[in-house]
Amino acid sequence: MNILTLLIFTPLLFGLIIILMPSDWRFSFKYITLLATLIQLGLSIVLYLQFKSGPEHAGINAEDTFQFVQKSHWISLNLGSLGKMQIDYFVGIDGISVAMVVMSSVVMVIAALASWEIQSNLKGFFSLFLLLNTAVIGVFCALDFFLFYIFYELMLLPLYFLIGMWGGARREYAAIKFFLYTLFGSVFMLLVMIGLYLSVKDPATGDHTFNIIQMMNPANYDSNSIFSTLAHKTLLGMPARAVGFVVLFIAFAIKVPVVPLHTWLPDAHVEAPTPVSIILAGILLKVGGYGIIRICLGIFPEIAVSGAYWLGLIGVISILYGALNALAQRDLKRLIAYSSVSHMGFVLLGIASLTPEGISGAVMQMVSHGFLSTMLFFLVGVVYNRVHDRDIYHFRGLGSLMPRYTTFVMIAFFASLGLPGFSAFVGEAFSLIGAFKSPSVNGALPYWMAVCGSVGILLGAAYFLWTLQRMFFGSLTLKGGEIWKNALTDLNSREIFSLFPLAILALVLGVMPSLVFDKVNDSVLALVHFIGFK
Amino acid sequence: MNDLLPFLPGLLKQVFDGIPLFMPEIYLCALFVVLLVTDLIFGKNSAWICKIIACGVLIVIALKDVEQLKLLLAGPQLFFSNMLLLHEKTVSFKLMIDVLSAVLLLYFDWDDQLASHKKGLTDLYSIVIAAVFGMHLMVMATNLLSIYLSVEMVSIASYLMVAYRAENGISSEAGLKYVLFGGASSAIMLYGISLLYGFGGSLNLFGGNLLPGLMQVNPLGVALALLLFLVGIGFKLSFVPVHFWVPDIYQGAPAPVSAFLSTVTKVAAFGLLINFLTPFIFFTGFSKVFDFGLFLSVVGITTMIAGNFAATLQNNLKRMLAYSSIGHTGFALMALVNFNTDKQGITAITFYLFAYSLANIGAWMLASYFSNTANAENMDDFKGLGFKYPLASVAFVIILISLTGIPVTAGFYGKFLVFSSVYTVYQASHNVWFLLLMITGAITTVVSLFYYIKIPLNLFLRKTERTTGFASTSNYLLISIAIISLLVVCLGLFPDFLVR
Repeated sequence: MNILTLLIFTPLLFGLIIILMPSDWRFSFKYITLLATLIQLGLSIVLYLQFKSGPEHAGINAEDTFQFVQKSHWISLNLGSLGKMQIDYFVGIDGISVAMVVMSSVVMVIAALASWEIQSNLKGFFSLFLLLNTAVIGVFCALDFFLFYIFYELMLLPLYFLIGMWGGARREYAAIKFFLYTLFGSVFMLLVMIGLYLSVKDPATGDHTFNIIQMMNPANYDSNSIFSTLAHKTLLGMPARAVGFVVLFIAFAIKVPVVPLHTWLPDAHVEAPTPVSIILAGILLKVGGYGIIRICLGIFPEIAVSGAYWLGLIGVISILYGALNALAQRDLKRLIAYSSVSHMGFVLLGIASLTPEGISGAVMQMVSHGFLSTMLFFLVGVVYNRVHDRDIYHFRGLGSLMPRYTTFVMIAFFASLGLPGFSAFVGEAFSLIGAFKSPSVNGALPYWMAVCGSVGILLGAAYFLWTLQRMFFGSLTLKGGEIWKNALTDLNSREIFSLFPLAILALVLGVMPSLVFDKVNDSVLALVHFIGFK
Repeated sequence: MNDLLPFLPGLLKQVFDGIPLFMPEIYLCALFVVLLVTDLIFGKNSAWICKIIACGVLIVIALKDVEQLKLLLAGPQLFFSNMLLLHEKTVSFKLMIDVLSAVLLLYFDWDDQLASHKKGLTDLYSIVIAAVFGMHLMVMATNLLSIYLSVEMVSIASYLMVAYRAENGISSEAGLKYVLFGGASSAIMLYGISLLYGFGGSLNLFGGNLLPGLMQVNPLGVALALLLFLVGIGFKLSFVPVHFWVPDIYQGAPAPVSAFLSTVTKVAAFGLLINFLTPFIFFTGFSKVFDFGLFLSVVGITTMIAGNFAATLQNNLKRMLAYSSIGHTGFALMALVNFNTDKQGITAITFYLFAYSLANIGAWMLASYFSNTANAENMDDFKGLGFKYPLASVAFVIILISLTGIPVTAGFYGKFLVFSSVYTVYQASHNVWFLLLMITGAITTVVSLFYYIKIPLNLFLRKTERTTGFASTSNYLLISIAIISLLVVCLGLFPDFLVR
């Protein structure tokens, strides 16, 4: 059996097992979930080790260079003279997806460990958690647009309930806001997807196809179709391909999220329970970035080239706006949510530079942010679970009360603000190198964007260090007095067990970024070559 | 009389030739008579016998429908002096009507309100069979006369069904309103038919000289006549602006009857509309007289917007379902703009209607279920019930997700097919209306999520202190709800199983 299929459907299988088990055994559910995620992690490590690098395994726009491919017929519908509607179950990975898949598997294990805090309605929580797990891995592996869309939409419902049922005080508002935002993006994505499908024909069979890789080849477009590269059709007076790009970009930008489509994120992150915040920040934001690389850049490369300036601009605005907002927050979780907006801005900036450095940096930043935001949200969860408060001004001098906790907070903060030696530094540095190189190499971005991006790192240092100073240094004063002091015990072994690997990963990737770059590089070079923009 | 004698053998032969094509309908007539007789013989205890007989025979009739495909190998068949037409799509519509009616027949006495009726439900079963017979005629009718007769047949049966349990004020009001509005709209339709006959000199849609005749008359007059006619069909389909009766009547009628009106009747009306539109669309040059593409687009857009936005304001489950079914009519009209091109449009609308009907019957069953068990009618009443009735609530979520059109459900695939069929026409014609249709369809999908999600929101996200007032209900209801929601998911995963 194909390893990717196993990876995708293992969680679903365990989820079904949990649903069928009697509720009396509910205290075993978390162990079952942990087992599922550990199996998944094991599979993804096998995947990582067996993944072959080299230009002949680059992926991107050549179907035979993808690895671990499984392609079988799924839905086939005869539509008379219009030919057959052929939808395949088509999964496979290249350098960019392997990074995402491995990162997601790690984050899922940590999220499962963070689920220990969930007390009510365990059966519902863990089955939805595992359904969500299946959907996110599926998104990163799908190479058929229809399949991609199914997995993409499948993420919505579990998340709605996970935020809405186990979330904080304003959970209803946060959950529906998240759901409506994402659905708004994705129904229009559905329209573009259908348009692409009806424009593209598989050269082998002559039928329309949802194959993403076939969609990348301009020769496969019908000469008279809406999204044809030659016909220059218009939609409502605008160039059709540009409209298609923008619609898909908006759908993914809502997920990333970029300013001004980010407003669901602070609400959803703050109201969600810790494990769900971890999945949201660690994995779901990357679905947006991954979608932009795989689909927007892959299918509409020429629009990406002509619109690179705007992509970069949105990226820079996200970096600065997110960072400035983070500075202004009192709620620790909100601060971290806004820092995510800022950090994901680097991803967009790196992609917009259209240079190998920039895109590698973007992928690296996604991997790094996956681990670091997981760590940050886990750390917030630790203090929130103990005293049910996370206002920065209600704590002072935690360093003396919880030394181990403070150590991990310092590692996470310093790693996130881009201290050399940690993964975020590599990601941000490469994104910025790409942005700095772009004006002289391809002219996609002006210099000032790179400079503004660098200012974002400075602001990042400001809000992280200031928070560190306010909460952890100085003499111990707590709003809750003695009760809080007794409640705030230091990290237990489960928490250390979850945080330690993340800290190590952030450090190892900072020292040896080649662990990611070796796998990613060939695909990035192929992508840049494919975009053909020198 | 003597003048007619030479023609009689020919006419008789036509009738006899048509009989093999009319077998399912003959079975329906026989079933109707059998039900009446059973009621007479067994009296008050006949309800369950009638139920079993009716469902069983309906399934047999559905099989007969499938058999009819063999008769169609040579192509579509006109019979009974060009009154009726049998076509592959007719067969699939009849099949849909029979299967869905069989499910609905099972459902009638599981609704506590309807089941507590003093007279018993035997009469209702025979009325339903008569309605099904009328709907079979509706999807086959190709002559303005047969169209009118079949529509009236279904209408009269529906009046009886809506008013069947007229115990309290609301349901009597609903029954009376329905009769009045229905009567008025069928009078308008008849007026339209008489104008068409006057202009064209024929009642026959296929062949005859109706269309060439209409081409020579003042276009404004023809447009008026067609609009008047469409009011009649629109009443059954409940598109804007003849939708205003829907909320009151769906809310006032017993839930199973509302389920019947919002699913099976609509399927039949769509079948009729397709039959009616076909000659006009294939007649070259007619679009200059009356542009059906434009008409359907405008009506589709306004119906989608009106239905979905009004639904967001509702607080009563039945009213919300009523408005949402208006929205779904608008969406299905979208598929009609395309049915001339090829099989794709028909496949799309058939699948969409089946997915919608299945999920909608499920939703009405759940309305009955929660009304039976927890007396829940308004949104607030559903608070926290998700933990008390987990299976029904999870099924509710699946069914509402299918109605919204989110994967992996049948509803998503239906929406997907409709969108792709409209896209195909758009790609060929670049008519900006079709693009607007699709955009409206996409936006109203988001709007529809907003009101559908209110139910899961109340079921699962909110808590209740209520501990009393819960009753038990028929387990069959819960089982069939579970089967329907399972079916909805399966069709979402493997839709080609249905479409073949």
